[in-house]
Amino acid sequence: MSRPERLIDENGRRVDGRRPDELRPIRMEVGVLDKSDGSAYVEFGGTKVIAAVFGPREAHPRHLALPDRAILNCRYHMTSFSVEERKPLGMTRREIELSKVIREALETVAFLEEFPRAAIDVYVEVVQADGGTRTAGLTAASLALADAGIPMADLIAAVAVGKVDGQLVLDLCDLEDKYGEADMPVAMAPRFNSIVMLQLNGRMTVEEFKRGLALAKKGIDEIYRLQREALKKKFSEISPEEV
Amino acid sequence: MRGELEMPVYFTEHEIVVPGQLLSDNGKRSGEGTYAHGGKIYAARIGFASIRDNKVVVTPFKAAYKPAPGDWVIGIVSDVKPNGFEIDLGRHLKGTIRIPDREEVISTGLNVGDVVYVRIKESGLSGVVIDKRSRIRRIESGILIQIHPAKIPRLIGRRGSMINLIKRLTGCEIIVGKNGFLVINGPSPEAEFAAVKAVKMIEEEAHTSGLTERVEKLLRELVGGAEAPSS
Repeated sequence: MSRPERLIDENGRRVDGRRPDELRPIRMEVGVLDKSDGSAYVEFGGTKVIAAVFGPREAHPRHLALPDRAILNCRYHMTSFSVEERKPLGMTRREIELSKVIREALETVAFLEEFPRAAIDVYVEVVQADGGTRTAGLTAASLALADAGIPMADLIAAVAVGKVDGQLVLDLCDLEDKYGEADMPVAMAPRFNSIVMLQLNGRMTVEEFKRGLALAKKGIDEIYRLQREALKKKFSEISPEEV
Repeated sequence: MRGELEMPVYFTEHEIVVPGQLLSDNGKRSGEGTYAHGGKIYAARIGFASIRDNKVVVTPFKAAYKPAPGDWVIGIVSDVKPNGFEIDLGRHLKGTIRIPDREEVISTGLNVGDVVYVRIKESGLSGVVIDKRSRIRRIESGILIQIHPAKIPRLIGRRGSMINLIKRLTGCEIIVGKNGFLVINGPSPEAEFAAVKAVKMIEEEAHTSGLTERVEKLLRELVGGAEAPSS
């Protein structure tokens, strides 16, 4: 699809009708897979991702295991059918990069010292891509880790803010990402106001950056609330054990 | 005892908490499943928050087995070395028994593939060390099954009520390892099968109520209600 004439119209509405500070419809479900220790499915509008966690389990290859803590492996991957253009098979450079930034974000909150010599494997699969896949993936991965019972200091909530037609907007969709002036994915562990992932494509002034960060924080607070709700909902049928 | 602590808490007994949730302002009393930061206690896992022995604890719904000193576990001998044995305890956990004397190693008669019931001495940076002063019991026969370690307490039941129910109705000997490994040894394949089915039902439905009655009903259906002499 080629660039629309305007990304924001005279009424302040974006290409999908949203206001600049509006999130897309979000859906979250925890524990969607049976074979993994933890899993989660997350949608941000047209972006759909699924995350699965295995662990703690044996590290492969064994010589990479650490004596005092677990290693965290992460694979971010887009399925061949997630995008319209042909997506090369296997791991592209972008997927390798996003795997790394997601892993580094998760490592800041997970208590890896509880499982020496083990590995925690995190898989994020993007089944449909419409912008903000790494932030949706990280949001889902964090839920999957909690579902798996991996101890963590906090959940991670993430969203991408950007600049389109000179205006700052929250939760970029694919068109805005492609044809806007800046794209800034932000991830936080909201409990302590910690930023655990921050990237920027494009240009922003320092002032725009600060405002963008504040806008991201607003979105993140809402996403965090939805995450906590999704987790509690999953386990709400459980009654305290009678032991 | 509940309700007798002065420290302020931000949850109700048996409330579901999520990682990062603030539980208390008193950082000194952080228990299992929680962590302390800046004088406050936060949940580290998703589970039920409660107060036990003056500490805030979170009992997780799902937790991998964490070896603790004194735990009795079942494992499979995975390696025999000149100075001891390596025992597979499930997942990434490997227990080691150090026997410096090679003759003594041979004299134990243990081989790769043997199933053993052992006690953990300690678990730390040097790995999981098995206590060799208490008896290393080789399990000669039976069915070895694995369940999620978090369900073991439910399998045992209050004061052993659940596990004794299964033993009584099936006549099986059941050895329970805290790491989630079990060995079931019964007088007949039908009895062993019934015990396995009961164990699997408990693993699946550990979080529900009325489980004891359903397990008893299942066992009576499978073994005809005949009770073995008390074990």
